Amino acid sequence: MIETILFFVLAATSLAGAITVIAARNPVHSAMGLLGTLFSLAVIYVVNLAHLVAAVQVIVYAGAVMTLFLFVIMLIGVDKAEERDETLPYQRQLVIGLAVITCGLAIALATGSGFRWTPAAPAAAQAPNGTIENVAEPLFGEWLLAFEATALLLTIAAAGAIALAYFRRGAPEEVAE
Amino acid sequence: MMTLAQLGSDVSWMAIAPELVLALGAALVLLIDVQFKPKTGGSLAWTTGFVLAAAFGFALAQWLRLADIPISERFPFGRMVIVDGTGLLARFVLLVVTGLAVATGWRLFERLGRRRAEALALILLSAAGFQLMAVSVHLVMMFMGLEVGSIALYVLAGITRERADSDEAAMKYFLLGSVASAVFIYGVALTFAGTGSLNILEQNQFLTQNILLAPGVLLVGLALCIIGLTFKVSAAPFHAWAPDVYQGAPAGLVGYMAAAAKVGAFIALWRLVDLGFPTMRASWAPVVAGIAALSMVVGAVLAAVQSDVRRMLAYSGVAHAGFILTGLLSGIDGIRGVWFYLAVYTLQLVGAFGVVAAVTGASTSRSAISDFAGLGRRQPVLAVVFSTLLLGMAGLPLTSGFIAKFGVFQDAWQAGFEWLVIVAVLASVIAFFFYLRVIVTMFMEEPSGDDHASVGVVARWVLALVAIVTVVLGILPAPLLELAGDAVAR
Repeated sequence: MIETILFFVLAATSLAGAITVIAARNPVHSAMGLLGTLFSLAVIYVVNLAHLVAAVQVIVYAGAVMTLFLFVIMLIGVDKAEERDETLPYQRQLVIGLAVITCGLAIALATGSGFRWTPAAPAAAQAPNGTIENVAEPLFGEWLLAFEATALLLTIAAAGAIALAYFRRGAPEEVAE
Repeated sequence: MMTLAQLGSDVSWMAIAPELVLALGAALVLLIDVQFKPKTGGSLAWTTGFVLAAAFGFALAQWLRLADIPISERFPFGRMVIVDGTGLLARFVLLVVTGLAVATGWRLFERLGRRRAEALALILLSAAGFQLMAVSVHLVMMFMGLEVGSIALYVLAGITRERADSDEAAMKYFLLGSVASAVFIYGVALTFAGTGSLNILEQNQFLTQNILLAPGVLLVGLALCIIGLTFKVSAAPFHAWAPDVYQGAPAGLVGYMAAAAKVGAFIALWRLVDLGFPTMRASWAPVVAGIAALSMVVGAVLAAVQSDVRRMLAYSGVAHAGFILTGLLSGIDGIRGVWFYLAVYTLQLVGAFGVVAAVTGASTSRSAISDFAGLGRRQPVLAVVFSTLLLGMAGLPLTSGFIAKFGVFQDAWQAGFEWLVIVAVLASVIAFFFYLRVIVTMFMEEPSGDDHASVGVVARWVLALVAIVTVVLGILPAPLLELAGDAVAR
């Protein structure tokens, strides 16, 4: 039941993020929308017990790829006419207040009597979901060829980027034949 | 727990040797360019030729000992790919097409300067991708092959990026192609949801052993897969990209782009519907027949009103996609006719675009039919070659195109699609008109303006050879038909 509710909520947020990506006028908002989509998908993976995929999703996509996106957007230059004024009043104070409350709750939880750091589960004979072995075995066994084929894709990406972007001068001239 | 030895047990490098050679060859071409910085393309041309020949040799070696390969070694890499005659024939055709494209479009590579190494590497890699696609019996592997092949083609479409229309073609191809790929992979996910497997053979096994009472998800998935693949072969109503891309991309590469994608996608489509879902024939056959009929009509009618040779060839390609799809309708037996058609048509396509590149310039976009006026007087050899190829595409008796059309129509008729064959014959008649229009322009009209046509020695011989093959296969089709039949039997 909880999975179903989670799915619908997350599907809605990921769709909302995807719509933001194409509908937002400001590229930074688009990037943030994409971030929302990626995070929602990560939680969907968690719901499906694919913890490693979720972690990879957060680290690689929401982390590295999004940083790259933002870098590119910033380098190209965000819309200069962007509103710099804060339209929401007291949002700084609100954020600081929320941060204090969150930190206080965390400290109260950590020092309170009911909370102890317990090791998750005793080392089981069966590896839990999403460990390195469980990912590596199919990846380099059953899926070896598909995995290797991505190498071709990367080569194409490198060669294609150079062919399209690097040789600006010395362009092919269609000489009058 | 799987040990390393078990992991490696079904790795068979020989099974994918041609693709390995192509990938290594692409790297070699790039490295030669970086290390020696050759001023002219001679060394790269020889390297490319050698790589293609080596890949062909490996495929041939596998073909010769195919009968000795036991069934247990036919599905290496965890049943991702299959070792069979069809896959090997796909490699033969793709490698020949690649070689022809490089030979006829060589003037484009000369113009590209330092970029020619990247262009050659991309061609080799895309050939490897479409070959993988044609030998895969696993939907994810098929998708990987499709992407490797297509993404290289997107770049090649825009390789003369200083021209706005080349950029436009690349962008259009990339965006629409990506959507088609997304549609395909979504279909793959749904077929997985419906059958619990991504392997085409296992899906077939599942469907023969179980009766699905509510196959809705599976049907949607199959439909999306078919849409994704028919987009790649530019069948109507998924053909809108083809004319713009063929017109905007550099002439020297269009033939390869069109031919390679068609070989890969048609064989993948055949594997999907005829190997994976023969049990659901009643569901997909009307859809494929509808796409085929629409393609033939739309392609033939729209080709007739074009004033640009490349747009005309693009729309005629839509019609040809329809003709080939009629061959797919007759099940496993139809593959022989499909093969003959594919082999013959892709040769003619590459040859025809080779002529277009020679007449209007290898890196240009746009080739108005009026540019061909009086070609019969200016360049009699080119004009005769082009006429032969066009008549072959039209399906004139005594050319290979006639045998090809006859084969797929016969198969479709026997499979009970009489109405489709009637539509196909009518479309062929319309097609005659626009092919003849170009021929008439070449021989009956006065040359207008300057003579731009020039063609290298190698390209001239290669083009003549393609034209001769078109006629010879029209008179003596038996060897290629036997080869295609052999491929099915093995």
